Amino acid sequence: MPVFEWNEIKIEVDEDGFMANPDEWNERVALALASTEGITELTADHWKVINYLRDYYKQYGIAPMIRKLCKETGFTLKQIYDLFPSGPAKGACKVAGLAKPTGCV
Amino acid sequence: MAEKRKVRISDISNPNIYPLAEVGPNNTIELPPPYDKLENLPGFKKLSESARQAVDDSLDGVVAVGVPKPKTPEEEQELVEKFISGLIKLFSKENNWTFLQPLLLTMEHCAKCQTCAEECPIFEASGYEEIYRPTYRAEVLRRLYFKYVKPGSPLLKKFQVGDIELNWTLISRLIELSYRCTICRRCAQACPIGIDNGLITHELRKLFSQELGIAAKELHEKGTVQQLLVGSSTGMTPEVVKDNVSFIDEDLSERLGIKVESKWDVPNADYLLIHNAGEFLSWPENPAAFAILLDAAGIKWTYSSELVGYDGVNYGVWYDDFQLARVAQKHFEIAKKLGVKGIIMGECGHESKSMGIIAERIFGNEIKTINAMTLVEQIVFSGKIKFDPERNNFPVTLHDPCNIVRLMGIVEPQRRVLRYLAPKFREMEPHGVENYCCGGGSGFAVMTPYNFLDWRMHISGRKKFKQILDAFKDEPPGPEVPKYVCAPCSNCKGQIRDILDYYGAKEKSGIYYGGLVELVVNAMVDLKEPFIDFSMM
Repeated sequence: MPVFEWNEIKIEVDEDGFMANPDEWNERVALALASTEGITELTADHWKVINYLRDYYKQYGIAPMIRKLCKETGFTLKQIYDLFPSGPAKGACKVAGLAKPTGCV
Repeated sequence: MAEKRKVRISDISNPNIYPLAEVGPNNTIELPPPYDKLENLPGFKKLSESARQAVDDSLDGVVAVGVPKPKTPEEEQELVEKFISGLIKLFSKENNWTFLQPLLLTMEHCAKCQTCAEECPIFEASGYEEIYRPTYRAEVLRRLYFKYVKPGSPLLKKFQVGDIELNWTLISRLIELSYRCTICRRCAQACPIGIDNGLITHELRKLFSQELGIAAKELHEKGTVQQLLVGSSTGMTPEVVKDNVSFIDEDLSERLGIKVESKWDVPNADYLLIHNAGEFLSWPENPAAFAILLDAAGIKWTYSSELVGYDGVNYGVWYDDFQLARVAQKHFEIAKKLGVKGIIMGECGHESKSMGIIAERIFGNEIKTINAMTLVEQIVFSGKIKFDPERNNFPVTLHDPCNIVRLMGIVEPQRRVLRYLAPKFREMEPHGVENYCCGGGSGFAVMTPYNFLDWRMHISGRKKFKQILDAFKDEPPGPEVPKYVCAPCSNCKGQIRDILDYYGAKEKSGIYYGGLVELVVNAMVDLKEPFIDFSMM
């Protein structure tokens, strides 16, 4: 399994760059993962998305519907893309430390 | 350009040729501006050193499956032996009763006329790389079949088809190579004598999965295994899917001012509706449109909340007959238990193939399947619902999912609907059974490991992107006019979304995508608000 290193952070990631062990996630790890998405600073808006994703993931074990994410955070899909350029699934979920979404999504 | 070294069939087992072929962005298929400059596009992601240590990239520098390198010579030898025994099983009636006949015909009768090569969008988009020629992987298998399976004099057989050395290098490359074909079967359709090189891809993947335990993770571990275990390849349990569907119902009811009401586990309904579960998560308008349309037509329908009953995907059809059968059996058992007359297959190509073509013949004595295209056509022309086609007053083109159109022959129903309900409908060229694959077929749309997404975008998906752009060439080129690619298949939608994202086509050209039912519901007079909202797409 590839190891991703960023400053003092050292984590195992899968071949898409998603965390291999989502339990090891913390806020520094989020910043590290964000750097792979071309995001240099995590703003309050980023955190709103990340926190919602993590809460949902904790409860249900998968990522939420994109539409639910938009409705619950109050962001449009475009705004989510502005925050996370590779989008809600490939970008936001990765930074939030979720496993890569599976199936035809 | 320097003349490329021509890769021979026997080169596949030569580890000194590394990689066997070099593939990258190229302009063999030229795109119109602003997509004509290769330098403006992301190239192929370079594999990290640790990835290259761990998995084999010696085929073409691209990694889809990520075949682990054997750790010891013994392990390697064991895999080679498993391959040989699997090869023999593949050609025996008791182990491969499903596909043996067409497989044997394909092995014995190919005249190598290369008519198929002209038809393959991957071969073309790669700049005509030998290894992607539809007959290349078939020829490798043919030589192995002659050498290890077919009875007769070894010398004569070698003279007939040529020799090949079987080693781990060959097997490992052949595994990756079986994931460089989308099984669109355009080649099979063009073959004057009915040789099916798409089937070869399928049979190879099957051998690797069933006998060596090697398959794409997204299809096996995260696909069928997860589906059988928790209920869906998406990871949705019954609790989660019901929660999501009630969210969709509420959200759409609120937005549209009409009641969207999904039904669960209704005994003796007319139909069990099974979508590809990805629809609920990524394209909620699609299941919502089905709910609205079926209710408006007075059809009694239900979803099932039993494990697997709410996810029509069956990735087994792409790589493993055992997994295919396990999933297919569940679908029909659930339908029978509910007491429905039939199963409506949602807008999903491989669901239609696995359930409607393969499984129905085995399990479908009492339960019949109906394809969404056919049903939607019946509803639209039943006279029960009033439509105003002007509501779809934007350019629309139609993508033909290979499994629904080329394989099943369902060509006209969706077109009749679009000619009636989409005044600015125009065809892609070529279309119908001649249409090109989206480039995400056979599971590719859900596979993004390592640099495989780059390959999907530059090689397997490029022809489709050109077709889409060409279909809209008489429209203002910018984003001011929204343009709709109707792609009635979840897998194709996933791939088309990735293409449009990769090339930035939504921003640059205003190209959007969606299914067929959304357009139908958008034209319903009973809806006060537009169903299709481009700002949310």
